[in-house]
Amino acid sequence: MSRVAGDEAWRARERARRRREVATQGGVALILLLLLVLVAHNVGQNLAARQIHSGFGFLSDPAGFNLGESVIAFEARDTYLRAFEAGIANTLRVALAGIVAASIVGAVVGMMRLAHHPLLRGLGGAFVEIFRNTPLLIQLLAIYLVVTELLPDAGEGLTWPGVALLSKQGLQLAVPAHEHAALAAAAGAALVGGLAAALAARRWLTGGRGLVGLAGGLACAVLGWLASGVAGGWSRPTVDGFLVEGGAALTPEFLALWLGLTLFTGAAIAELVRAGALAVPRAQWDAALALGLTRGQAMAAVIFPQALRLAIPPLASQYMNLVKNSSLAVMIGYPDLVSIGNTSINQNGQALEVILIVMAAYLATNLVLALAMGFVNARVTRAPR
Amino acid sequence: MTLKPLVPFALALAGLACATEARAGKTLDGVKSAGVVRCGVNTSGPGFSNADSQGRWTGLDVDFCRAVAAAVLGDANKVKFTPLNSQQRFSALQAGEIDVLSRNSTWTLTRDASLGVAFTGINYFDGQGFMVPKKLKIDSAKKLNGATLCVQAGTTSEKNVADWFAAHGMKYKPVVFDTAEAITSAFFAGRCQVYTTDMSDLAGARTKAPRADDYAILPEVISKEPLGPSVRRGDDEWFQIVRWTLFAMLEAEEDGLTQANVDAQKKDSKDPAVQRFLGVSEDDGKLLGLDREWAYRIVRQVGNYGESFERNLGPKSAVGLPRGVNNLWNKGGLMYAPPIR
Repeated sequence: MSRVAGDEAWRARERARRRREVATQGGVALILLLLLVLVAHNVGQNLAARQIHSGFGFLSDPAGFNLGESVIAFEARDTYLRAFEAGIANTLRVALAGIVAASIVGAVVGMMRLAHHPLLRGLGGAFVEIFRNTPLLIQLLAIYLVVTELLPDAGEGLTWPGVALLSKQGLQLAVPAHEHAALAAAAGAALVGGLAAALAARRWLTGGRGLVGLAGGLACAVLGWLASGVAGGWSRPTVDGFLVEGGAALTPEFLALWLGLTLFTGAAIAELVRAGALAVPRAQWDAALALGLTRGQAMAAVIFPQALRLAIPPLASQYMNLVKNSSLAVMIGYPDLVSIGNTSINQNGQALEVILIVMAAYLATNLVLALAMGFVNARVTRAPR
Repeated sequence: MTLKPLVPFALALAGLACATEARAGKTLDGVKSAGVVRCGVNTSGPGFSNADSQGRWTGLDVDFCRAVAAAVLGDANKVKFTPLNSQQRFSALQAGEIDVLSRNSTWTLTRDASLGVAFTGINYFDGQGFMVPKKLKIDSAKKLNGATLCVQAGTTSEKNVADWFAAHGMKYKPVVFDTAEAITSAFFAGRCQVYTTDMSDLAGARTKAPRADDYAILPEVISKEPLGPSVRRGDDEWFQIVRWTLFAMLEAEEDGLTQANVDAQKKDSKDPAVQRFLGVSEDDGKLLGLDREWAYRIVRQVGNYGESFERNLGPKSAVGLPRGVNNLWNKGGLMYAPPIR
């Protein structure tokens, strides 16, 4: 009997505690909300008092400026909204290219630092120390300077007639004339080729099946893309005076930014790879080798999966840093989101609104990235221990 | 409990919410009590505002800041120069970090009506042009179809060039940089075939080329760029002081008053206009909230508009621009000051 009474008393105390908690938390949330409203109101009033125009109406006005390059079609008559979309697309383009390249560089350099060969180890170490310990901004300016000084002038560029053209204007390449068909062909070929490679790997290999599948898929994507060009014709860069038309272009700004982000982030990723591999206990190596696995097999089947588990959470934060660092584009003339935001601010003077848009875009991008990396992390850690 | 981490955030928000609106007006009081005029200038604009090898600021816009200081504080050296890039300039003025923006900025409707700033006048009539390397053998901007253009972010140039190329049915590729320094280094490295900005800036930039003779400025002027100083809105008293400082420099040139002869003129001139201007016969200064010698000090310490132009931009300076439309109205130019009386 007394036991039940005790339970009752405990439950009552617990209910009272929960009510207090809900009340305090609700109160704090309410105060925060009120303060936010007050800040917004105050900012609005101050802008009005200083006779500064505000609001998001400008998004549907024509932007009136051009972009040097854009993944999505853009011209001066398009709206500010479209300009921001073009900026986001340009940012995503360099960020995705950077993430892929930095991962490859990071993996290779990380392996180099673990190698037994002293020259490889030394080179890897030098790479990491140089690129990790100097500011990215300085690296970008240096790379951009070298790229623009080294490349030949526009009139006297290196040409591979009908295929490629390299000058201070950047690299102009022939691409399949039917863009969408080429992308579809590449995707289809990647799917088929990747599956075939994975199946083959399953049959003949013990480790690294996923990697073989991925590599097969990539190779088939390139082949499919090329095949579409052969079948459907090419769009080739042609030069008429200053005008270069057709083909696709990689500008020096994009190349410099991509290279800079790749090297800087690659150096950081290399250290993650090394840290991950070194954190796997030495006994795991010994056990794997004792089971008769070769060093390669041991790396692929035993060490690598465990290292990955340790490296993924910090890797996610490196990827997010790369996305944010891409905003340094503004210093070397690549039209990313921040560069377009800067131009917009000066055309219409609505700094607050534009900065909010730019911040929201980066936040959204990195939240999606965090979600994706969280998913990958969950998959990796779920593997049997 | 998730309460604790919210506390500092809430405090910060409370601080923000309570921060009251900045006091409008009374810039003059602020300037007098601080003892300096805070003036926003260009980071690097040869002829307009440029720090020389000793770190001393020189240029037409710099002289204007000094003239304001001479009129208000009695000493042309009591200026604190804040170098600003084209994106910071109006925000710095809005936020009250500077009292005057004198940074070769174009007066446009949008800027005058929606940025919370007010242009006080025009101290240089400019227009946008194009500079190309001579080796391209181009003699007209109409032959620039498809060219790559270096442009500075946050300038009227960006929009003008889009309009002009569209109007002529031509294409171009802009490469947009943040600062004038980044543009000139990219342009002289050959990244762009064309550098487009105000004509006066092009002439200034050419002085920084490895070999100035290798570059030509094309004849086409594609826009009107009236450059002038601006102040924050809402302080009419300060607006008037800044506006009439420029007029005083123009009036001095029209009356033939120079840095060299102003003392003698002040003593000897029988011209009522000169006597009034220099505060000998009447006190115009008190109408502006200044003393009677405000205009005298501008001429004595800084010089008239023509002197400032010749020193910084004229044919004998490094920039080497002709006076052109920036001459006085009675010498074939556009510079015209309302009467000081």
